[in-house]
Amino acid sequence: MGALIDGESRPRLESWLAGATGATRVSVADEGTLGGGAISLNLAVTLDIDGGPQAGRHACVLRAQPGAGAAASGMKASISKAQEFAVLRAAFGAGVAAPEPIAACGDPAVLGADFYIMRRAEGVGAGHKVVKADQPQRGLARELGRQLGRLHKAGPDTPGLESLPVPAVSPALDCVHAYRDWLGDLALRDAVLAWGLRWLEIHAPPPGELALCHRDYRTGNYLVKDGGLTAILDWEFAGFSDPMEDLGWFCARSWRFGRHDREAGGLAGREDLYAGYEETSGRRVDPQAVAYWETAAYMRWAAIAVLQGRRHTSGEEPSLELALTGRMLPEIELDLLRHIHSLGLTASSPAAADAEPSGDADEERVA
Amino acid sequence: MRTSPDAQELLSIVAETFRTDLLPHIPPAQRYTALMIANALGIVQRELAGADPAGHAMLAALALLYGEDADDSLSGADLRQRVEALQHRLCIEIAAGDFDHDGQDVLMECLEEIVQARLGIANPKLLRG
Repeated sequence: MGALIDGESRPRLESWLAGATGATRVSVADEGTLGGGAISLNLAVTLDIDGGPQAGRHACVLRAQPGAGAAASGMKASISKAQEFAVLRAAFGAGVAAPEPIAACGDPAVLGADFYIMRRAEGVGAGHKVVKADQPQRGLARELGRQLGRLHKAGPDTPGLESLPVPAVSPALDCVHAYRDWLGDLALRDAVLAWGLRWLEIHAPPPGELALCHRDYRTGNYLVKDGGLTAILDWEFAGFSDPMEDLGWFCARSWRFGRHDREAGGLAGREDLYAGYEETSGRRVDPQAVAYWETAAYMRWAAIAVLQGRRHTSGEEPSLELALTGRMLPEIELDLLRHIHSLGLTASSPAAADAEPSGDADEERVA
Repeated sequence: MRTSPDAQELLSIVAETFRTDLLPHIPPAQRYTALMIANALGIVQRELAGADPAGHAMLAALALLYGEDADDSLSGADLRQRVEALQHRLCIEIAAGDFDHDGQDVLMECLEEIVQARLGIANPKLLRG
């Protein structure tokens, strides 16, 4: 895919935006690609809007569906840009610190790919920088809990979310099915993955209440400025699931960036995250369910790493970063086994999550 | 006739030269890419030198379950194929529910050894001390 915005497409984009924002004229300045786009293409743009309700200058991000090759292999877990925009509107409307959605375009004649535009937020996102703090960041962990609780008040009945699929059997078993599908024949060649899948089947909780889940809610996917949360990003995996899934994912070792003594995303203890969550969600945190979903988190991350590696090896998208992500599999499997081990070996009685040891603090992620 | 220096020797000096002569001078904007290259070179070095030892470690782990099929004399492609065949068999047994009630402690021990062997190549910093 060449440059998304060039001399030819810019006038089309500007005239479409004028229509979408009720303006007399819009000009778009392209400020280059933003990081964090392993799956989506993120462009920094500034809109100058003349006339209409949104007149003025707006720092924004244009998020586009990546090329067709990527969509074929790596993108199985993600929703369309139109769905992502609908999720963003629901989240923003519910008072969640999602970037403000501006406009979405499903007309391929404009840029050749589906895209939407949202307001740009400021702050630091890189996980290893976010977790760098002498003292636990208890307030930030609690605020992230509150945000998640607010998001989870949305569900299948929330207006605007009609296009999002609802789990066929149960959130847990639907996940196992999806992971198996993403892993392909590797589920029959890698015994650790085979055991992870089986463990999730044996211990699957019965279907319960469905919530709108972010499904990539973790350190590295939100922005922080002066110690405070500014925005929650990367909504491309959102969907309806067991609300405990997002808590298990947030607390997984994979997203602590070496701060394993601070189990809530390398920020603070779980109790701060859970307390904030219970404040706004109107729901109790079920530590045993969170522990189940933490096992699911390692399996999901393993399957996504395999998909990322495959994007490279298939030749569709040669990339050193994708190739190395594929090579992270043993590291993710180590975390998976460590977690299963901590829950006890008896299939019929998984131990409570608080039995999990806090783990070593001396491990570091490598490039 | 053996080519000298061979692939491993050549790779070794490439990786060392990259780390000592180039890496310190890479501008910040390209540093992450350079670190990824150094990391990838390290993986390749460890895999070239350590594939057989890792294969034997995995075979020893699988011998906890399938002792009769572990064979210390294998090497290269034969060793890899034997490990793959035993892992495939184990995957099928796991999926069929053979470890749902019994044998989980032995299974976990076997799986942990397999992961340790693969970590020795992919990321030895995470090996247990």
